[in-house]
Amino acid sequence: MAIAPGSTNIVASTTMREDEWSQLLARLATAGDEGVFARLFRHFAPLVKGFYLSNGGLTPESADELVQEVMVKVWRKAAGFDPRKSSASTWIFTIARNSRIDYLRKHASNEAATSTLESEDIWSEGTDNPPFVYLQQSLDQRDIDILLSELPQEQRECLFKVYLEGKSHADLAEELNLPLGTVKSRIRLGLSRLKSAVNL
Amino acid sequence: MARYHPEDELLLEYAAGRTDWAVSICVAAHLHFCPSCREQVAKFNRIGGHCLEQADKVDVPEDALNSVMAMIRTESRGEKAPNPTKAAPAVKPAFQQLPPVIQKLIPDSGKVRWSFVTPALKAARLETGQDKYEVCFHRIKKGGTVAEHDHNGRELTLVLQGRFSDENGTYSVGDFLMKQPGETHRPTATLDQDCLCLSVQEAPVKLTGLVGRVINPFLRVRPG
Repeated sequence: MAIAPGSTNIVASTTMREDEWSQLLARLATAGDEGVFARLFRHFAPLVKGFYLSNGGLTPESADELVQEVMVKVWRKAAGFDPRKSSASTWIFTIARNSRIDYLRKHASNEAATSTLESEDIWSEGTDNPPFVYLQQSLDQRDIDILLSELPQEQRECLFKVYLEGKSHADLAEELNLPLGTVKSRIRLGLSRLKSAVNL
Repeated sequence: MARYHPEDELLLEYAAGRTDWAVSICVAAHLHFCPSCREQVAKFNRIGGHCLEQADKVDVPEDALNSVMAMIRTESRGEKAPNPTKAAPAVKPAFQQLPPVIQKLIPDSGKVRWSFVTPALKAARLETGQDKYEVCFHRIKKGGTVAEHDHNGRELTLVLQGRFSDENGTYSVGDFLMKQPGETHRPTATLDQDCLCLSVQEAPVKLTGLVGRVINPFLRVRPG
């Protein structure tokens, strides 16, 4: 199927639920369909860009470059996506995270040039995917979404900033003008609430 | 199965892609041995997926989709897409049982350069493409004891082969320890076999005992 720029799947696609994105990505995995890919692109490319810009460290131009790289990888790796193991957004998050790490390393240091490792050696399929026996007891993405939205604001804020704004616990403490111990305990409380709710 | 694990906070930072490169290597090597921490990371990845899904959308350039399709078509016309798993270099049998991420740190020659530190301890520096941490193999001779030392920065230790013990416990393959600045310990390998560890040190180790002068020059972080 040819791709017309600005074609009109947008309205339909923004109203899809998360698990339907996963089904769509699974379809891409089996069929390699360009029309399916275009719908995924229109949904996820702006999300990845927004995610990158809130992460810091990237200009809008480099974010655009990286978003394209991520979406090429989504196509190339789609066959490895398994909707029983993760949702589309989690799977794409890991690709976006790894691509950003490699990009920043490549542009920040000479040391990286001497490395035999890339992010995918460290944040690899093998380490990202638990064995099946654990998966059976685990939650689906929607449960996680609900649990996160039920956390007290201050705990959720701390948790999200680690992901969204690239803050270490120490950065967070400085930004929120709180002792490091307080930030750590908020994150710990948030995590333990998730844990006790779902045997996480 | 490993009994000593990274704290959840560290696994969270790892999943978010915030851990330093050398620390990430050590965490990844632990994950190789530890299904329950892998499961934990998978859950933390989902928080990442949630954050991505909740991000504010920012428009990409109009022609972005076409550019990406052009890249994909060029790629599929050319050779097959590059195989994401690179062929593992031939690794010396002694290292074959190690996590893949560690095997990749071993030079193509299949050999690492061991340096004598004390009669009980040899060390081999690993090139990891960063200079914030000193990343080494430590090999403690069976029954041998490493001089008591404390740390200027964090020290992460992952047991790769054999076992060692210190004042707080006995550590076996896959066990992950993090020592904070000021904490001292005095590791002793068990009698049955040598103990191989991955050591990731944030800053030069200070020796608190007499042998300190011997070890310190070796364990300094490489200048430059």
